[in-house]
Amino acid sequence: MDFLLSSFGTALALILALDTEVLITAWTSLWTSLTAITLAALIAGPVGLAVGAGRFPGRRAVLTLLNTLMALPTVMVGLILYGFLSRQGPLGPLGLLFTPWALIMGQTVLALPIVAHYVATAVAGADSRIVPTLQTLGAGRLEIALQLVREVRFGIMAAVVAGFGRIIAEVGAAMMLGGNIRNSTRTLTTSIALETSKGDFAFALALGIILMTIALTVNLFLHALQHRRQEQRSGVREMGVGS
Amino acid sequence: MILTVNNLELHQGHGFCLKVDHLSIEAGRIYVLAGPNGAGKSTLLQTLALLARPHRGEIRLAGEPVFWRSSVLRRLRHRVTLLQQNPYLLDSTVYHNLAVGLKIRGIRGYEQKRRIEHALLAVGLDGYAPRCARELSGGEARRVALARALALQTEILLLDEPTANLDRETIEIFERLISSLPAQGITVIMASHDAGQPRRLGADVLHLARGRLLTVRQGDAARRTEPSSVEILKWP
Repeated sequence: MDFLLSSFGTALALILALDTEVLITAWTSLWTSLTAITLAALIAGPVGLAVGAGRFPGRRAVLTLLNTLMALPTVMVGLILYGFLSRQGPLGPLGLLFTPWALIMGQTVLALPIVAHYVATAVAGADSRIVPTLQTLGAGRLEIALQLVREVRFGIMAAVVAGFGRIIAEVGAAMMLGGNIRNSTRTLTTSIALETSKGDFAFALALGIILMTIALTVNLFLHALQHRRQEQRSGVREMGVGS
Repeated sequence: MILTVNNLELHQGHGFCLKVDHLSIEAGRIYVLAGPNGAGKSTLLQTLALLARPHRGEIRLAGEPVFWRSSVLRRLRHRVTLLQQNPYLLDSTVYHNLAVGLKIRGIRGYEQKRRIEHALLAVGLDGYAPRCARELSGGEARRVALARALALQTEILLLDEPTANLDRETIEIFERLISSLPAQGITVIMASHDAGQPRRLGADVLHLARGRLLTVRQGDAARRTEPSSVEILKWP
């Protein structure tokens, strides 16, 4: 018990002392995850919108596929991308392996199905009167899509937050693609794994506390968004004009 | 004729079929679609609003045949709008709700503001522009939806039971407003269960039953609103 308490105290001291290595590791995690989630949102957002609002053959199969890919093991993503990025792979000449960009690629791939599925679900669950209302106001496809995004914005934000939560906490792909290189590709999760194996439990705990704080903040934000969505839905019902 | 329908057929689930052999709508008049529940009033309005595609038949808007291609529909939908029985207000301010259709038509700046203020004044919601649409009562929301349709100044205004479940006073004000529209060049086609409404509005009656247009009864022209009484109707 003394070991745990003393480690916790040391971990807090490291955080409060703004230890450079702790800060660099936390910053690497944050900027790579934020870049990855931005890329994933830009790619998966329109996909989710099309799947959620569209009516085409195979739509259900696409939704099932996205649902399945949400549970994709991170090491599998790492393994496949490693094959592409390694020296013998088709993207090998780019020299991206063991750089932050390889890490970002892995995180983006992991976030894609999560964001696409959540956006599709939010769009599919939107009020069925939105599209005919916009059509009768004279809107074309692009205007309908933009307005639909505006109407389900909290669902889309929840999708992005959920994707961010997944990628900042993953370790498999980050380890395999980033290589856990100090001051370059060392993230909170890969660093925790390394420091624990080295026996520096206090340092790993300091990183763990930061990771938990980020995860908690993300979850609180997600909870607030979901609460807002529920308020929005009950607001429509209370107005007496809801379905 | 502002709108003509020939040999229209639209099949829906449960064996329902809307069938209109011929219908001519004259510009600047009010038509009331009457008939029991399930007669096809809302379906006909959806079709005339170019939201539901018929399986057969032809619709002509101001002489132009309607082709069900997105570019054509988009252009023609700028001339006709539908106020649905259960209207949807966008999750934003009242102003934004009214501005959406105007922005789509390229109406911005002073003209947009003027139209919005004018429409809100007409439905008695002057000063409601900054309010959040989701915080309005059911009656207020219905009035905002009507204002949104009025602001567009389309040639044809389709109303699906606009006065259902409203109090007597509000109905009278709605009717005054609707009866003023033909003088502004707007043709109104509205579904209604109120047997006295066609007489009060001086409207022609289109009677539907089981998806068939049965009769067209001429309204009392003498009761139609004189153009001099229409400019801005203020809510009392």
